[in-house]
Formats: sequence, C-alpha cells, structure tokens
Amino acid sequence: MRSALLKLFRNRKFSNYYLGSFAVLFLAAFFAKPLFGQATGEVAHSGGEHAFKYFSLFSDPKYTSLEIYSLIAVLGVAVLGLIYAAMLAIQVKAADQGTKRMQDIAAAVREGADAYMTAQRGKIVPLIAIITLVLYFTTQSEEGAFKLGRAGAFLVGSFFSWLVGFVGMRLATMGNLRVAAAARSSYGEAMQLGYRTGTVTGMLTDGLGLLGGTLIFIAYGEQAYEALLGFGFGGTLLALFMRVGGGIYTKAADVGADLVGKIEKNIPEDDPRNAATIADNVGDNVGDCAGMAADIFESYEVTIVAAMILGLASFGHKGVIFPLLVRGIGVLGSIISTYTVKAGPNDNSDSALKSVHNGFWIGSIISVVGFIALGISYLKFDAAYLLNNPMAKAGFPNGDPTQLPVWATFGIANADMRPVITCFIGVVLAIALNKVTSYFTHTTHAPVKSLAKACQTGHATNIIQGFAVGYESTVATVVVIAGAILLSYLCYMGTPPLFVAYGVAMTGIGMLTLTGNTISMDVFGPVADNANGIGEMGYDPEEMEKNEKGSYKKARQILSDLDAVGNTTKAETKGIAIGSAVIAAVSLFASFIAVIAVGSEDKISQMTTEQYLAEAGKLTVAHPMVFIGFLLGGAVPFLFSSMLIRAVGRAAFLIVKECRIQFRDAEIWAGTKKPDYGRVVDICTKTAQKELVGPAFLAILTPIAVGFLLGTQALGGFLAGMILTGQLLAVFMANAGGAWDNAKKFIEDGNYGGKGSEAHKAAVTGDTVGDPLKDTAGPAVNPLIKVMNMVSLITLGVVMKYTVIDDKLPTQSRAIGLVIGLVCLVVIGWAVLQSKRESKELQEMEKQFES
Amino acid sequence: MKPYLYLSLIPESLIASHLSPEEFGNYLSVGSQKRSRGQAIYFKLSDAYTEATLKKLGMNADLGRSVGEPPRRSAYLNIYRVLEQTPLEALESIHLTTDDGRVLTLKPGAYQQDLAPRFHLYQEFCPVSPRIISTLEPKAFAQEITDSTKPISLPALVFTELKLEAMAEDPEAKAQNLPYTSLEHMRDCMRELKAKPSKKMKTVVRNFHQDLLYRTLRGGFFVATTGNGFRYFPMPSREELESTFYPWWRSALSSFGG
Repeated sequence: MRSALLKLFRNRKFSNYYLGSFAVLFLAAFFAKPLFGQATGEVAHSGGEHAFKYFSLFSDPKYTSLEIYSLIAVLGVAVLGLIYAAMLAIQVKAADQGTKRMQDIAAAVREGADAYMTAQRGKIVPLIAIITLVLYFTTQSEEGAFKLGRAGAFLVGSFFSWLVGFVGMRLATMGNLRVAAAARSSYGEAMQLGYRTGTVTGMLTDGLGLLGGTLIFIAYGEQAYEALLGFGFGGTLLALFMRVGGGIYTKAADVGADLVGKIEKNIPEDDPRNAATIADNVGDNVGDCAGMAADIFESYEVTIVAAMILGLASFGHKGVIFPLLVRGIGVLGSIISTYTVKAGPNDNSDSALKSVHNGFWIGSIISVVGFIALGISYLKFDAAYLLNNPMAKAGFPNGDPTQLPVWATFGIANADMRPVITCFIGVVLAIALNKVTSYFTHTTHAPVKSLAKACQTGHATNIIQGFAVGYESTVATVVVIAGAILLSYLCYMGTPPLFVAYGVAMTGIGMLTLTGNTISMDVFGPVADNANGIGEMGYDPEEMEKNEKGSYKKARQILSDLDAVGNTTKAETKGIAIGSAVIAAVSLFASFIAVIAVGSEDKISQMTTEQYLAEAGKLTVAHPMVFIGFLLGGAVPFLFSSMLIRAVGRAAFLIVKECRIQFRDAEIWAGTKKPDYGRVVDICTKTAQKELVGPAFLAILTPIAVGFLLGTQALGGFLAGMILTGQLLAVFMANAGGAWDNAKKFIEDGNYGGKGSEAHKAAVTGDTVGDPLKDTAGPAVNPLIKVMNMVSLITLGVVMKYTVIDDKLPTQSRAIGLVIGLVCLVVIGWAVLQSKRESKELQEMEKQFES
Repeated sequence: MKPYLYLSLIPESLIASHLSPEEFGNYLSVGSQKRSRGQAIYFKLSDAYTEATLKKLGMNADLGRSVGEPPRRSAYLNIYRVLEQTPLEALESIHLTTDDGRVLTLKPGAYQQDLAPRFHLYQEFCPVSPRIISTLEPKAFAQEITDSTKPISLPALVFTELKLEAMAEDPEAKAQNLPYTSLEHMRDCMRELKAKPSKKMKTVVRNFHQDLLYRTLRGGFFVATTGNGFRYFPMPSREELESTFYPWWRSALSSFGG
C-alpha cells in the first residue's frame, strides 16, 4: 500500500496533473466565492451577533466614499506598478542580444535556471497542496468563507511569491545577455538595462504584494485577518524554499567552481573550460534573484499583514487602510525614482552608484512627502469616528485626539500623525541599515581594511578578525533596529501595547516603502555578475579588436565596473532584508499575544487592553516554560544554519569531483570541446532539492511541536529566542561573509601585496569560509524567522485546544496534542538525520566518480 | 614531423620535441593527463641550431618515432650547463607559460638603457636562481655578473627584472602591490646598498622556489653571456596584454586562486 502510494506520488506526471488541477479548482473557489457566493457567506458567527459578508465595506456606513475610492486607487496603483514592470520587461527584451556565442552561453544559463525552478516546483507543489488542505480544515472558524479565505489566500500568496522569484530569475537570465551586449558600445545603456532588469522584479513585488493585500481587504473587510495570515504564510513559506534551495545551489556551484577552477587549476573565474561555470552563473540567478526577490516579497507581505491586523485591532479601519495607502505611495515613489536611475556613456562605477543612490533618495523624498500629505488629509479621528471605533480611544491621551502633543498632530485638529512619523522612522531605518551594512562590508571603511591587514599574518588571523567584525556588526544592527523600535514606542508611549505594536508595524511599512528600488539594487548585482561571465566566455576579442581598436578592453572594463557596482548594491540590500524580518516578527509577536489573550484568532478585534496586558505579563523569562521555549527557540537558527552549510559542503564536494573528471579530457582543457555543463547543473539541482526538505520541516514543525508539547507560553518564549538569535546570526553571517569577500577584493586592488601574495591567499580562505555564510545560511534565516512566526500564529488556535501541558484541558485533547507533538518531533529528527545522509542519487554519482 | 629544440629554464634542460612552442608549453605546464600543473619558461632554439645539434647527437628529425606513432612530446638531451653551451643567437624566442598552459611568446628586441639611479630587483633563472637587489641597471648587471675577471661570475645567465614600485627610489616607501614574501628583508638589503655605494648587489632570496608572478615583471627577460653578450626579450605593453594577449594575461593574473 505504502509503496503503491509512494509510486503514485513520485509519478511526476500524475502529481503535476492532479495537484495542478487541485490548485486551479481551489483558486477558482477562492475567487468565485466572494463574487458569486454571497448568500453562503451569510452564516451567522458563533456568537450570533455578526454575519459575514464579502465586500461589506462597500455597504458599511463606517467607510466613507473617499476611503473606498482610495482603496480602488491603491488597486490601480498596484496595477500601474505591474504595467510599469511589463513595460520595462518589453524594453529589456527588445535590446540587442549580441553574438551567437554570447546567446548560446546565456541560453545555457537560462536552461539551467529553468531546470532548477522546474525541479523545485515538483518538490514544493505537493507540500503546498497538503498545507492548503491542513489550513482549510484547521482554521478556527465555523465560517466556511474564512476557511476558504485562509487556505485560498495561502495558495495565492505562495503563487505570487513563486511568480516574483520565477519572473525575477527569468528576467535576470534575459537581462544579463543584453547587458553584456550593450557593454560593447555604451556604459550608460548597459547600466540602465541591468538596473531596469532588476526594476521589473522590484515592481512585480510591489504590484503583487499591494494587489494581494488590498484585494483581500476589499473582499473580507474587517475579517481580513483570516485571509491575510494565509496570504502572508504562503509568501513566507515559498520564500523559505526559494532562499534555502537557491542559497544551497548558488554556493555549492560557486565554491565548487572556485575550488577546482581557481585554487586547483589556477584558471580565471568564468573560464569556459570549467564545467561548473554555467552552474555558478545559474546559481547567481536562483539564489540572488529568485531567492532575494521572494524573500523581500514575503517581508512586504508580512509587514502589511501585521500592520493591517494590528491597525484593525487598534485604530479600526483607518488603521488598516492607512498602510495600504502608504504602500500605494511607495509604489508611485518607486516608479518615478527607478526611472530616474540613468548613466551616460562615459560614466564609471562611482557615478553609476551615485545614480542608484540618488534614485533611492528621490524615492524616499517622494514617499515621505506623500506620507505627510496623506496623514494630514486622512488621519483625522473625530468624535464620529471614535464612536464607531471605540477601541481607537485607547490610543489617545484620555481617549481624546485633541490632547495629543503638537509633534503628533502637526498642529492639525483631531489629526494623529504618529503613523506618518513611524513610517518615516522606517524609511530612516532602511537607510541606516544600508549604511551599517556598507560600513562593515565596504572596502573604503575600517572593518574590511582591518581584515585585509590581518591577512598579512595569515589565514587564521583573517578568520579571527572576520569573526570580530561580524560580531561587532550584529551589535550595530541591533542598536539601529532597537533604536527604531524605541522611537516607535516613544511615539505611542502611554498607549496600550497593541498601539505600540502598530507603530512598529508601520515602521516596517515605511522601511519597505521603496521595495521596488531595493530589489532593483539587489537584482542588478547578479545580472551584472552574469553579464561579466557572458563577456568573459562569449566575447570574441580578436573580432572586436578588428572592428574597433580597444573595444574589447573597454567592454570588459564596463562589465567589470558594473559588476563592482552590483556587488555593492547587492550587499547594501541585505541589511534591509534582515531588518524587515525582525520588524515584521516583532509586529507579529503582538498579534500572537493578542490571539492567546482572546483565545481564538477570529475574536482578535474584540480584545480589550486588559486582556492583552494580562497575557503579555505572563511572558517572562522568570517562568520556566517561557525560559525553556526561549532556549529552544534560540537554538533553532543554529541547527538550521548548520544543515544549510553542511549541504553546501556536500554539494561542492560532488561538483569538485565532477569538474576534476572533466578537466582530464584533453580537448576540454585545450578549449576545443565544450564541457558537460549540464552534469554540474544537475548535481546542483538535485542537491538543492534534496537539502530543501530538512530545513523546511524544521521551520514548519518545530513551533508546532513546542506549542503542542510545551504550551503557548513556551511557544512565546520560543519565538522571542528565535527572533533574537536568528537576527544576530543572520547579521553576523551576512556581514562577516561580506567583509571577508571585500577584504579579498581590497587586496586584489593592489594592497598588502596584491594578487598572488601571501596575504591574498589568506584572503581567499576567508572568502571561501564566508561564502556559504553570507549567501546561503545568512539570507535563509530571514524567512525562517517569519515562517516560524506565521506558523505559530496560524496554529495558535488549535494549539490552545490541544496543549499537553495545560491541565485544564480534557485528557483526550491533551492526548491528541501529545500525538501531534511527537509526530512533529519524529519528522524533525528524520529531517535532521536526512540532512546528514547522502541520497541514493548522490551515492550513485559518487560510485560513478570512483569507477 | 618537424623537430623543435627547447631550452627549459625550470629546470635547466635541453629538450627535443615534435610539439610546437604553444603545444609544448601546454604539455610542460599541465602534462598529458591534465593531472598536474606548474609554470614553465623556455626558449625555442633556432631551426639551424636545432638541425646542427640533432646531427651532432646523431638523432633524426623523427626523434626515434616511427611513421604512424604519436609525436614525441619530450626527449631530454641534456640537463647540465645547457645555457652556457647555447649560442646567444640560437635563442629565437622565450615562452612564458601559465599554470593552466596558456603561452606568451616574446621575441628579441632592442634594449634602451635606463641610467636613472634606482634600485633594481632581479630574478635569476638559469643556471642559478637567487633573487638579487642591485643598483645596476640590467645591461650593467649582466656585464657584472658575467665578468669572468670577478671572483663570482657566471658564464651565462637568464634573468628578469621585477617591479619595485616606489621602493625603487626609496627603500622606506610604501609597497602596497608587491607580493614578495621577504619585503622587510629586501628593505634591509636596500638600506645596506644605500649605505655602501661601492656594493652593487645583494642577495635577497638565495634560491627561488616559487612560481613567478608574471604581473610583477618589469621590462622583460634578459640573457647575458661572458664577453658582453646580451639579449633582451621585451614584454608586451600593458595595453597589448589586455587586448591582444588577453587570454594569457587573464590566466597569468589568476595565479594563486585569484
């Protein structure tokens, strides 16, 4: 029976067909029900006092016409963002594609990336289908619309997240060729094409994130919480898959290619004779484009989900609509500012980087001015509003908005500009995190220089110094993030914690206002990197020199400069990704407490401040269960990182072996025969897919196991511990890795002996150690933090009913909880063991190598 | 099959081969099975000298290979005092091979003396291989080292000059892009030469046993023989390296895991 089932599910055609049909039907139901199933939605709530209606805000007198039009306008802006993305994609596609040789190389990279995405889709789809069903059946509401809403929104969130990653990667594999082709004639054109390739992904993230959140709110109104959680969870889970799979792929290929190519054979990077070269370029796309885009998309979703949930519970519907409007302004700001990023034919790295930064500044200014204008016109809390939304009174001194200090009202009667201020704090936080990351990882600053200096005394001192720099950077980042949270707290000092949490959530909204710009900057990195690779492998120096003297050198210089700009912009955005994960997690933590306080997620809007405070007060480390949870939560990011780093090492080992075998072919070595690039791409794809499963189970099942076995307080402690160590570890790994990488570049630029010196050898070691940290484990911790938060929040309702440790529950319920918890533990144990074991396929490969 | 005669500098040896200079360089650096790697520097000797030498040794152009057999990759003819027995005019070209087998060919060129007072760092290859710091410019250094009237001299020498950047003018100057392991010792040697102007050269490294970083070459390769024999093989300009000889230059720059 078991083998028959396994056979059935391993049959790709079968699973793809049925799972695809299932997804389509489910999505059809999710979209059709709000449009045609109004009557079925009108089932009374358990309390009997409310009846749910789709699109109720259109008939609810609480919402003004202006608010409804504004929401529709936000939808329009989201669509505009998507149209802008499509327009740029057409522009990029229409650009010159270079010579046939260049096109062949780009096609090989694209094929590899597609193969990876297809293989990943096969692995993820069944899991998504199962989770969709689990969500449908476990949603703690008797209302069918909510069950369908959460599960359907989960499916939509997953799909959007995957789409952002897929399109981002596809565009990058298209843009790299065009950039390499354009570099033969103009710096400005090449730079613009690269940046615009990134902007397509950025605007897709903006557009889809805003579209999803707004549509859900329009359809579900004040009950949007249910669907929003599903939407956020879907995006987050997919981002985890993209990040983990992409991270393993990119570094396994990179480390493998470097170990054989650069260290063993002393051949340059991207040398076409190296069989791992194409996989390395594919890795840049699946890791840095697909992974990062999905990661930021989930942050974008989760912050809006947190802000909307908390906004509803604190300030009522204005608290929900405001973040959506802010996001709309952000999208407009991104459209305008990304379009201003341009470079001339004679520009260089510095001026190009300045243009990218100017774009960010322009976007920030547009956004901040927009926030203020929006706040002045919309954030007015008059007596009529407070009458309809009485919970909002707690957010004002003595329940009266007129008693707010002048800084909070800007002198406008009944206005509350604190959400605007917290958004502004978010924008500043994004800039500050950019600066902190830049300080610790850029060659012009002391930390990287100190690493380069340490290289003079050997490999060990470089590693030691790298640890010191990485640790120090975590402190700086924590101080910046804590400072932002503190400022948000000060804005809402004296109000209940839910309002403070709303302020923090708005900081997250502000921080990701310019997501379009952030992703443009990030994706530009791998596009330029790939373009450089295509130039290396695909340019014909003799032909180019024949046509125009010096053109080859010039084109190579342009690509090299663009690569340098891309490395910088890519590094800068990593800080934002990590920071946004923490801010989103902190906001979600307040929702977590709120659900425990009221006992079920569908009653969150009925919560009182007293209930919230009472529950929050129980979460103290003086309580053993909280402390136990805290310890366990703190350990999970380490186990997760260890699984990923080990996975990279294992995959790289196989790649090295494969490349060595191919190098023995005299024709390959002589450059007269093309290596079998596909074989290395295959190894990377298989390994990345295999290694995806363990960390995913760890992320999803650990909070469930803790919740069922140790209770909600332990789960609260677990989340706190996980957020703390996860954030510290992510920043440490990203910055230490970045600093090691740039220390190597600093030496290669002619310092401390330059290339080939002893210091350089030490720097190469540091860079190799830092690679899996900064590009695999570090970035994957961001979605881990959010997935664990979302899973905790989503399962909380069920957990509270079946907690083993709660002696007030019936024995039968506790027994169910015990079974679920133990099953989770067994699966986690299996996943950890699996992550240490080599799969059959890999063992077969090894046998082939040995023979 | 046409026979070639090569004078390899690492180690000093006379080798006959059917491989052309490019093929021979690739073979020397990575072997036939691609399981090894290593830098190679060698001279191609003129066809006339090749013919005469093979004749003298009683060898045919087939180097012992019958028809249908694969070409002879290497037949070692001599491994002792090869350079001093080879006439200067027979040194047709010098070939610099990178670790992964890319070959750059240097032809002899005219030498312009540079008499500005400064330090010079020389790497000797054959028959001995110390690294020397000297106040003599290359031609004067060549004459000095091959002057048989001096207590220490060589009958012939192949050497190259290495970059010193600002240290060429001032031993105390900053050296950011010099990958030499014995930089401080080198400064001591320069200080000593500065303090004793009568002393013209000092050994920095007694025996060179590492790959040569081609990016540190300054000018080119020199061959000196007793009786003021001197031949110069200039390196292409940086611009030429980055365009015409780019594959070789990229490979040269990637040495040591770059």
